[in-house]
Amino acid sequence: MSTSVTSSPQPQPKTQRPTKPRHGAKSLAAVVLLVAITIWAGIGVQVDLPAIAANWRNATTNIIQLLQPDYGFFPKTIPALLETLQMAVIATVIGSALSLPLAFLASRATNPRPKLLAGVRFVMNMIRSVPDILFASILVAVVGVGALSGIMALVLFNVGIIVKLVSESLDGEDAGAQEAALAAGASWPKANRAAMLPQILPSFASQVLYTFELNIRASTVIGLVGAGGLGILIDNVRSFFRYHELSLIILEILVLVLVLESLSAWLRKKLV
Amino acid sequence: MEHTAADIRFSDVSVTYPNGYTGLKNINLTIPAGEMVGIVGLSGAGKSTLIRTINGLVPITSGSINVGAHQLNGRGGTQLRGKDLRELRSNVGMVFQSFNLAKRTTVLNNVLMGRLYHSPAWRTLLGAWKNDDVELAMAALERVEIVPKAYEKASSLSGGQQQRVAIARTLAQRPQVILADEPVASLDPPTSHVVMRDLQRINAELGITVVVNLHFLDLARRYSDRLIGLRSGEVVFDGAGADADESVFENIYGRSLTAEDVLGNKAEL
Amino acid sequence: MTVQQPNPTARPVKPTSKLRTTLWLLVSLVVVAAFWSVDIKWSALADFPAQLIKYVGLMLFPPDWSKFGEAFMATILSVQMAWIGTVLGIIISFPLSFLASKGLAPRAVNAPLRFIFAVIRAVPEVVIAILILSVTGLTPFTGALALAVGSIGTLGKWGYEAFEGVDPGPKEAVRSTGGGTLALIRWGVWPSAAPEVLSFWLYRFEINVRASAILGLIGAGGIGKMLQDNVQFRNWDAVGMLLIVVVVVTMVIDQISGAVRNKLIHGTWRAPRLAS
Repeated sequence: MSTSVTSSPQPQPKTQRPTKPRHGAKSLAAVVLLVAITIWAGIGVQVDLPAIAANWRNATTNIIQLLQPDYGFFPKTIPALLETLQMAVIATVIGSALSLPLAFLASRATNPRPKLLAGVRFVMNMIRSVPDILFASILVAVVGVGALSGIMALVLFNVGIIVKLVSESLDGEDAGAQEAALAAGASWPKANRAAMLPQILPSFASQVLYTFELNIRASTVIGLVGAGGLGILIDNVRSFFRYHELSLIILEILVLVLVLESLSAWLRKKLV
Repeated sequence: MEHTAADIRFSDVSVTYPNGYTGLKNINLTIPAGEMVGIVGLSGAGKSTLIRTINGLVPITSGSINVGAHQLNGRGGTQLRGKDLRELRSNVGMVFQSFNLAKRTTVLNNVLMGRLYHSPAWRTLLGAWKNDDVELAMAALERVEIVPKAYEKASSLSGGQQQRVAIARTLAQRPQVILADEPVASLDPPTSHVVMRDLQRINAELGITVVVNLHFLDLARRYSDRLIGLRSGEVVFDGAGADADESVFENIYGRSLTAEDVLGNKAEL
Repeated sequence: MTVQQPNPTARPVKPTSKLRTTLWLLVSLVVVAAFWSVDIKWSALADFPAQLIKYVGLMLFPPDWSKFGEAFMATILSVQMAWIGTVLGIIISFPLSFLASKGLAPRAVNAPLRFIFAVIRAVPEVVIAILILSVTGLTPFTGALALAVGSIGTLGKWGYEAFEGVDPGPKEAVRSTGGGTLALIRWGVWPSAAPEVLSFWLYRFEINVRASAILGLIGAGGIGKMLQDNVQFRNWDAVGMLLIVVVVVTMVIDQISGAVRNKLIHGTWRAPRLAS
């Protein structure tokens, strides 16, 4: 290498180049692990691509039926549609009312008692790990077929979500005002109410609206186990392969969710 | 507004933090009711610890502190807790370096936090404050000249205005003592003087005992009746501001003064 | 001591917003109407505590331990469905979310993709499964495909939101060196968005683990199938066993996935303490 580099007045002293840090072995192990899990899971669920090709003819007839909703069926779906809406509204209201105090108990920023905190968090994790459909099946047995069991299942589902998200935003909130309230002689509950609640109210409100959207979607399906709403209807028409009617129900769900989503996005902007 | 001032007595107070760090060493101090005291020292000298022992935010390891009729004891002594501790705190207002306001709610709601101790739980829960409490909060805002902002969100105010809201919050407590922990450290020089003058006025007009931590020596000398210098958790100076000359400050700081230790005369209002 | 009051100045009036008041009124009205009109015998709630204790006793005291193996295999099958669904969902949604990002693809491509994502998000997975059923026949693979399609809706949306939200600095840097769109994605967008996007993938897997349960109800197997079979014959102790296995397996998966997500976002396996 020549030392007479004309462009720089002083020759650059050659320092030692750092060697590229090696993550090779670890990355390779991670990739191998992921591929292995995927293959194992693929065998488990019986991935079968040829079957799709074989069934295609059968599928096209169904799809054509699905593209022609039977609008005459609409009046018969109104009660179930209304019930779905009622369930979603009621579950959202009860679920958020229960979640707010629980969220304060589940955040280390607002609950000074470590044992109570750990207990509340454990129960919440447990509730969140039960699929809504499992809650719904059990509750249908306990309180009977209909909207009540559906509402209860949705409430449990909502409490799990809202408590987690709101307690996380409490964890991240600046605790200065709370410290000031405590220094002024307030008890923890009062300090939390006055100093922390106003801070997380906007995030709570948007969680509630988000949960409402989830509830509309969920309340259309928990009826499959008898918990009220459109789900019961889906189960009926599906069993008898009435695809024109199924198609109308899907269309209804689609319109309902999209309309309510934009309504809730608008409300979020106006109220929060 | 009726205010009674309280005196503060430190008897052989030491604070050792759980990690072994010594915050305060054998402090003996008497602050008579109605005095305005400035505490100076380097950061880490124990200023913040000293102030926070007075309302029990930092528990003391040994010795005792009397605040008016209340007594805080070290380990082994009777501990002030629950309702009794809250009663003491309700008599002691505190102003913080970073204002510590709930920024998403109104100025008035922030000031009403000073009434939490005296309000029943259901009223706090519903936000249904007594008219007397609202009037008290308004009067407190009046004293710091910020009443027109009562229904604005705290976040919409400037730093100086936020600190004055914080002072109004302590006034709403009808305190016997106001503690201020570096109240002007986040403010620019002109605003610093406004806030210090508010504190001085409150001390003079209402007779409330005021204890204020300050980093800037000139501010401390100018606005307090008495200066206390802390170094490594010990009192190394206690006297009138006028007696504190350069050599005294060098003793407190353990080095000669630099431009960063004074706020300067720039832009005084 | 009594001191002189400062002269009371005029108190400001509490401001009110007409629109907000009206909206709150409307929302309350909807809620009241829902409670009033819903077809529920609220009196059934009176028996609820006693009934609940009865059924919890039937399910859990004791659970049917002989069904442990079956419950475990059913749960594993649901997890496998969730995994395959997530992997396929990632493979399909990944390129699509770049195409849906403003600035990385033409508007004419962004808009329809975003609409498709929204439509997919509106349809419950079980409905998607009913649609796919006719193509694949009744196997767990149907369930996995339904979850994959469902995942495209959320992953696609989260993806383009993450890509659009990256700090514009590195993007400008790549542009300024004359890089094309591919270079921009690889060096200007992906490095900043990667931790967030990877964490979304894991989060979607957690959601799919829960969603897979319902797919068994229409015959895709797994948790839903075992649930249906046993509820039908009122084998409550078997349902209890399933409940225990599902809760434990889901909590373990959440813990692992949560730790990996923290590692991706914060660089530590445990969430950092934010407020003290």
